[in-house]
Amino acid sequence: MHRLTIDLADLEGALLRLLGTTERRGWRAVAVHARSHADRLAVDLTVRGTGRIDLLTRQLSRLHEVAHVHVAPELREVSA
Amino acid sequence: MNAAEALVMALVNEGVDTVFGYPGGAILPFYDALVDAPLRHILPRHEQGAAFAADAYARVTGNVGVCVATSGPGATNLLTGIANAMADSVPLVALTGQVPSSVLGTDAFQEVDIVGMSMPVVKHNVLVRDPNDVPRAIHEAFHIARSGRPGPVLVDLPKDVLLAECTAVAEPLAPAPVPAPCAAALDRALELLGAAERPLIYAGGGVRIAGASAELRAFVAASGIPTVCTLQALGSLPADHPLFLGMLGMHGLKAANYAVQSCDLLLVVGARFDDRVTSKLATFAPDARVVHLDVDPAEVGKRREPDVSVLGDLRASLRGLTGPSLGSDAWRVRCATWRRDHAWHYAEDGLDGPRFLRALSEAVGPEALVACDVGQHQMWVAQHWQLFDPRHHLTSGGLGAMGYGLPAAIGAQLARPDARVVCVSGDGSIQMNLQELATLSRYGLPIAVVVLDNQCLGMVRQWQELFADRRYSEIDLSDNPDFVRVADAFGLDTVRVDQLEDVPEALSRVAGTTRPLLVHVRLQREANVWPFVPPGAPNHHMMDRSAPQPAVQEKP
Repeated sequence: MHRLTIDLADLEGALLRLLGTTERRGWRAVAVHARSHADRLAVDLTVRGTGRIDLLTRQLSRLHEVAHVHVAPELREVSA
Repeated sequence: MNAAEALVMALVNEGVDTVFGYPGGAILPFYDALVDAPLRHILPRHEQGAAFAADAYARVTGNVGVCVATSGPGATNLLTGIANAMADSVPLVALTGQVPSSVLGTDAFQEVDIVGMSMPVVKHNVLVRDPNDVPRAIHEAFHIARSGRPGPVLVDLPKDVLLAECTAVAEPLAPAPVPAPCAAALDRALELLGAAERPLIYAGGGVRIAGASAELRAFVAASGIPTVCTLQALGSLPADHPLFLGMLGMHGLKAANYAVQSCDLLLVVGARFDDRVTSKLATFAPDARVVHLDVDPAEVGKRREPDVSVLGDLRASLRGLTGPSLGSDAWRVRCATWRRDHAWHYAEDGLDGPRFLRALSEAVGPEALVACDVGQHQMWVAQHWQLFDPRHHLTSGGLGAMGYGLPAAIGAQLARPDARVVCVSGDGSIQMNLQELATLSRYGLPIAVVVLDNQCLGMVRQWQELFADRRYSEIDLSDNPDFVRVADAFGLDTVRVDQLEDVPEALSRVAGTTRPLLVHVRLQREANVWPFVPPGAPNHHMMDRSAPQPAVQEKP
């Protein structure tokens, strides 16, 4: 499991796009916490999967709304 | 000014001259504004035709294509075309009407959540809820569609928003700069290239998208590295270039696949290790170190981890690598030998697809544009058409959408009215968007539509023959209509090619037509596309006409 912290613009559909991309790329979102403040959305996303997390971060970073994706170091490579 | 008029003004300010669309209730305000606008509107007979034509218009011009549809079924009919643009990284803006804001979410007439539905197949999309956001949303859509790795953007516009007053003003956004490649990465790439005995270039659609053909040709000339191309890159290196080994992959040329399997360094230029290219990934280019040049960071390491990646502008990256001669002469001789020994040999007698397409390609010349549908004929075009410019080849590569060819040819001809445009289709594919013959006729486009008719779904038939013990299932199209009579009814000129003797006149008619023309070519049902790498096999395990069974071959 990996925990990602994501900063994205709080635009209509942004969270749906983030989660949809995550699942289409082969990851299971097992926990999501999203908090809106001003025009930003701060998302803590825990995912499970067998792929490379750096590839998912690059795929999420391509989304127009996404400003930053960070892999929380304390959960890096924690087994499922 | 209402928002629909502001929308039209934003399109004009973006430099748009042509839009492809189909009117309907929710998008009516846009069509009203269009009456007074300096925009050419092309009316296909199905929204999918609009999306494919806009896609081809974008591929040929290098600009953003624009398609328009109303809400509900109009919007959903665009989806395949939008997915096609996404799969092949084509800059496209799709404008859809939406039901009025007051009834959104109430299952209103012709209401679908097109933003939700299209989300997986767009680079971005947006529902505009405020009329004053319309100009900015349009300019952002164009900016996103053409920036970095291009792709489609959908803008959904409720009818009341389009009708409301818009006082906002917005300007086109400056193009996002393409990052320059990192000098250290280029140095490391040159180090690996310099150490390689058997380097090979694997060029992909990114070369066309980046407009990097000239840089690729200069790099090949300087380095002397043999080159293979994906379906989307064909023409990046001229078909007759001595270092061009052909298309690689499932229906690639033997020389190309042997070279991939034998190289010790693979220079990947704007390609993505697609499964149709690699077949069994673990055995693809097994001895090669990989240098990957790309503009999209998400492609690096997606299917194969490179030894060095160079991110950024392909043209700059190629220029940064251009200089020394690279690789050994022995390797060049080996590749040239494969190229010579596995060159195409065309049957002297009988009418077959490859021979006909090679002759047609020569008849229309190197400046002609060819739009394909999907199936056996698509692979024959890739193998046998002589391409000298990647913008001359329009094909649905990533999505593999039957029905692309005819509307794509329409988009291409409208983009290049001076060019000879040929649509190569099959009897299955042409019926996916057959109604667009009416569009051809309406605008008097001198496109030659060549239907290679084997009375079946040939590629599916081939798979069932080879891998399902000839248990043919739902591939028969022997009850096809008479395509010549159909075309005649749509107002096209027509030619029948039933035997070899009919070919010269057909070629002459295609090369000289000034009107829409349909050429019906009757082929044998049992024709197959060779070579063929069976699914799951390494790329050097190619079946061919002389060995039409899956067989293990020694590595070349």
